[in-house]
Amino acid sequence: MNREKYVTHYVENAVKIVQTEISSVRKKDIIKTSARLYDGVNMGVAGALGLCDEEALFERAKESLKLKISYPYAPADNLQREERFESDLQDESVLLEETADILERLREQQPKFSFSHIFKCSKLESSIENDFGLKLRSCRESISLSLVIKDKSSSNIIDAVTGYEGRKFSKKGFLDLTNMICDAFSNQINEFTDGTYPVVFSSDDVTYLKKFYETLHGMMFGSGSSLLSGKIGRQVFSPDFTLYQTRRAEDGFPGAFFDSEGTVNPDDRFALIEDGVLIAPYTDKKTSSTFKLPLTGAAGGEYDGLPELRLPLLKIKESEKTAKQLLNDRMGIFVLIASGGDFTPDGHFASPVQLAFLFDGERFVGRLPELSINSSLQEMFGRNFVGVSKNDFFGLENTKVAVMNMSVERLRK
Amino acid sequence: MYKFPEGLYSDVRIENVFKSDIVVTLGNLDNMKEQQYSAAFIRVFDGKRWYYSSTTDCKSIQQELDKLAQMAQYNSTIERNAVVEKFEVNTGTYLNFDGERDISNFSLDRKLELLRNYFPHLKNELIKFWRAQYIDQRVVKDFYSSKGASLTFDYQRVGFRLLYQMVHEQEQFMDRFDVAGNEISVLEGLSEEIDKRVASSEYFIRNATPVVPGNYTVVLSPEAAGVFAHESFGHKSEADFMLGDEMMMSEWKIGKKVGSDNLSIIDDGNLPGVGFVSFDDEGTRARETYLIKNGILAGRLHSAETAASLDEGLTGNARAVNFEYEPVVRMTATYITPGKLSFAELLSGIETGIYVDTLNHGSGMSTFTLAPNQAFMIRNGKIAEPVKIAVVSGSVFKTLGEIDATTKEFKMLSFALGGCGKMEQYPLPVSFGGPYVRVRSLNVQ
Repeated sequence: MNREKYVTHYVENAVKIVQTEISSVRKKDIIKTSARLYDGVNMGVAGALGLCDEEALFERAKESLKLKISYPYAPADNLQREERFESDLQDESVLLEETADILERLREQQPKFSFSHIFKCSKLESSIENDFGLKLRSCRESISLSLVIKDKSSSNIIDAVTGYEGRKFSKKGFLDLTNMICDAFSNQINEFTDGTYPVVFSSDDVTYLKKFYETLHGMMFGSGSSLLSGKIGRQVFSPDFTLYQTRRAEDGFPGAFFDSEGTVNPDDRFALIEDGVLIAPYTDKKTSSTFKLPLTGAAGGEYDGLPELRLPLLKIKESEKTAKQLLNDRMGIFVLIASGGDFTPDGHFASPVQLAFLFDGERFVGRLPELSINSSLQEMFGRNFVGVSKNDFFGLENTKVAVMNMSVERLRK
Repeated sequence: MYKFPEGLYSDVRIENVFKSDIVVTLGNLDNMKEQQYSAAFIRVFDGKRWYYSSTTDCKSIQQELDKLAQMAQYNSTIERNAVVEKFEVNTGTYLNFDGERDISNFSLDRKLELLRNYFPHLKNELIKFWRAQYIDQRVVKDFYSSKGASLTFDYQRVGFRLLYQMVHEQEQFMDRFDVAGNEISVLEGLSEEIDKRVASSEYFIRNATPVVPGNYTVVLSPEAAGVFAHESFGHKSEADFMLGDEMMMSEWKIGKKVGSDNLSIIDDGNLPGVGFVSFDDEGTRARETYLIKNGILAGRLHSAETAASLDEGLTGNARAVNFEYEPVVRMTATYITPGKLSFAELLSGIETGIYVDTLNHGSGMSTFTLAPNQAFMIRNGKIAEPVKIAVVSGSVFKTLGEIDATTKEFKMLSFALGGCGKMEQYPLPVSFGGPYVRVRSLNVQ
């Protein structure tokens, strides 16, 4: 019987903010260990929280083999690799000081608004090793600054949001972004004519990508239940559209470069759609084997269970253009908050947009009235797809934008 | 039990967790597991700031308390702090799900068998993909505070979901049957209901056409009405959103008329279901709280901090999603109270309208949204053809005033998977429900 051990160790320091004041400080330090036994037919698993007796854990994994959960897939083998991505802010007292400083500046610079939510610095260490020569280790640190913005003269719970996540602490960039949002929010633009516009999303906004999580789900795809089933190798979207499943640190993926089965991709990502051609849905070993699909390394799962197919991080390939160049002298509609919209089963998309800004490609100009956006999966990533910018906002990591033409109208209530 | 640091308020919440999980996809067992662990969340308050830590090593709780105390400022008057004065001091053991009701006494095989019994009901030529998941969780919480609270209480959730995707010619349709409660008996004898659901999904995929967008009179099922109440109004009742916010305080003043005379909304952690929370995570007993009573704003949901800040009473709504997090103001079981009409009476008089039966999700800001799964036209007072709708939306403030009728028929719902999300804490189990509700005008896309 062969052994495999998968361990994650998550450490976090967080400062919570309420009404532009520090309200609390929180520490977390959580270890999760997964002990796996392979007998070539089934897998037994046992998991533990915190420090544990590993031998006892493997004994429990042996017991769980009796459940006969089939797992006849070859384990990852003969690969050693280690990575470490550090952030430049991990000290809790520095985090507290910097938070206090940022809040003081916001109180001075944006007295009409109040700010709440959380700043965090975290570190995730992951490792997987087995009897087959697999030994992979990852350590990724990150910083996350996230604030909900409230106009003091409004009776809404949330009026706007700001934030970023990355490895470099950029106080100036964060403040510049937040000030831009607040200033634009205060500049209400009431005139709006319904029509087709370039609509701009943060590149990691799931609002417009969510249908891919369903249509590229390997099990759904393989069983013939996806809109894209049976279309591998076909040109289904724009030749400018490439969609990756990614575990790259540079793409803002906070976890390890390997999935929970130890699968590693070249360049830590897999193109599911390349130049508009469907290559593969996302899969784990079971899905890949069951439906004879390429293995893309999308296994996740709980620490105390077998690996299973999980939603990966999807990223669209960036273009060679800035946001301004993508807009090509037009003004765009930047969707900051689009809550509650969805796709129909046949791919039609509609959503209210609670907060949209007029966007010149570099700055938010003013706040538009509440809008409604409409399109379809085929159009958004087909003939109406414009591209993803190569530049970030104010030098903040992971703040690229995606542009596509959509039908936009004033929201009727 | 613990030496609480002087000059500070502190509390310790220990969670003793049992849970099981069974997943079967297309007839193949993917996962079957049981897990037990104990972990703790520790809080210290010095009157100005809270300090939190979580640990999976319950033997180190005293150390964690001491470390947090080092970070805080000694406060000789902490006992007279308004927040500290608010905390209830409850002692004793209150177990609702022990003995025969304790889900940990049932074997995994029994649970798998229960789930397997329902697989034949997914044999439908249109179903190309399905997944069945059984989950349960029993948490016995021990709560101790420097004010003298010494309390043991429990929470239990048992449920399953059958998720399936149908394909008919070029059409796809995903639907689910999801049920949960506090005991395994709630999951038995559901074959007929599952058959009904699958049949309705088949009817939908074979016949649904895209809706003509526009403004319509909309009738919400109890599921849709419950989600509407939760998303559009429930979150606004969570008092932490109002702290220090004079504008919200004046807009949401107790006694203000905010809805139709026939509208009342209640939150109550005493109701059976996944929102049953006999004590919250600050050791406060659950209460029935009217949020709206006959169209008038009647109350808010509180933690000790928000209750002290707004000088209102505790409501038992401080909840944490698990041991890694601090309690924040959350809902428990939220519902619109029933009315007087029958369903047929509610529909009569609607020449052209929409009936929203089941949902994918909802959200609530100034504009609330409901993303329907199954929806139907209403024509001349009767349910008519099924329609595909991406989203139904409306202004929260306006819609509360546009509810013009409700039925006497009423249902509370609890789901096995998913839950409420608030900031970083997701998913928190909540129940929701109501009667069938008629709304004069909503935007449908």
